[in-house]
Amino acid sequence: MRLVRGLGIGALALGLVAPFVGSPSRTQQRGLDLDSIARAIDEGSDHVSARQLAEWIRDRRPGLRIIDVRSPDEFHDDAIPTAENLPIDQLVRSRFAPDQTIVLYSQEGAHAGQAWVMLRSLGVTQAVFVPGGLADWREEVLSPLLPANGPPAERARIVELSHYFGGSPRIGGEQEGEVAGAAQTGQRSRRRGC
Amino acid sequence: MNDLLIAGGIGIAFGWALECAGLGDPPKLAGQFYLRDFTVLKVMLSAMLTAMLGVFWGGRLGMLDPGALYVPETYLLPQLVGGLVFGLGFVLSGLCPGTSCVALASGRVEGAATMLGLFAGVLLVGLAFPRIEPFYRSTPHGPLTLQRLTGLPYGVVVALVTVVAVSTLAWIAKREAAQ
Repeated sequence: MRLVRGLGIGALALGLVAPFVGSPSRTQQRGLDLDSIARAIDEGSDHVSARQLAEWIRDRRPGLRIIDVRSPDEFHDDAIPTAENLPIDQLVRSRFAPDQTIVLYSQEGAHAGQAWVMLRSLGVTQAVFVPGGLADWREEVLSPLLPANGPPAERARIVELSHYFGGSPRIGGEQEGEVAGAAQTGQRSRRRGC
Repeated sequence: MNDLLIAGGIGIAFGWALECAGLGDPPKLAGQFYLRDFTVLKVMLSAMLTAMLGVFWGGRLGMLDPGALYVPETYLLPQLVGGLVFGLGFVLSGLCPGTSCVALASGRVEGAATMLGLFAGVLLVGLAFPRIEPFYRSTPHGPLTLQRLTGLPYGVVVALVTVVAVSTLAWIAKREAAQ
């Protein structure tokens, strides 16, 4: 009984002193590793295309965690399937398991890119973002433009993926095929906002 | 392989501790729900208190990184329903998943029956998962902690939880001494 009482008093003392010694995370604060960030950007390992993300969702990639960094209102209006809403201010207070693949997206990609840098500064290295955000999801997955002269297998793959998410591909002419090609290389003019 | 060995060692130690605490005995566990036996509450509270203080002070002294610990995400509604189903099974069988393993290892037939029900439930949920997945992923709140929920500093949350836990344990000890 004396031992139990002693343990109780010890626990109480450790608990009551806790508010005055600061946060345990403060001693573990990580800095911004600019070299690794530059390397990830250079290698392209910082992002994933909307179509690749769609394949991950369809294939139930283990540990996949999709995070929508927009506001709750925007999230409830429309979101990528299986995504969770974690606005940027909440993102920095979140914890991420090392074996998870974190995919960030926003409306058009800018905020997701900024969130990616924030996570890197917190030591989260297993995150990627969708450069074109939800706009790319709509354009590349839900309403993809099928290249007129593309290989049939590639066209079938795009159609199948789009149908899986309830989308409907658009059939493009030769000129539209060129537009689709340009879209894939990111040469678009609609990049505005976040 | 090392991870599996460590996990196995921790599992055996955990089971041994549960058995020593008497948590392999269904009437003892069910007694908690009728407020006749407070062993479950004592074990759970002291375990949470030890873990919380260990993580806080371990982090403060630079022995571990609390940020590296995985906090499971909260899905409010499905977890509420899951908690109710879990509690119903707990009070009906007098065992939870961990203690059912301990009960089985101790040769109690209740442990085998509960584990059978446990695996049947896992199988059923697995088969029905494509249909229940939208509900399973509904009302997401991310990894929710008391600190994030209240906005209080980590140390203050630790102090508050410690006071509540130690007070409850002291009240239980006083109650048991009076009986």
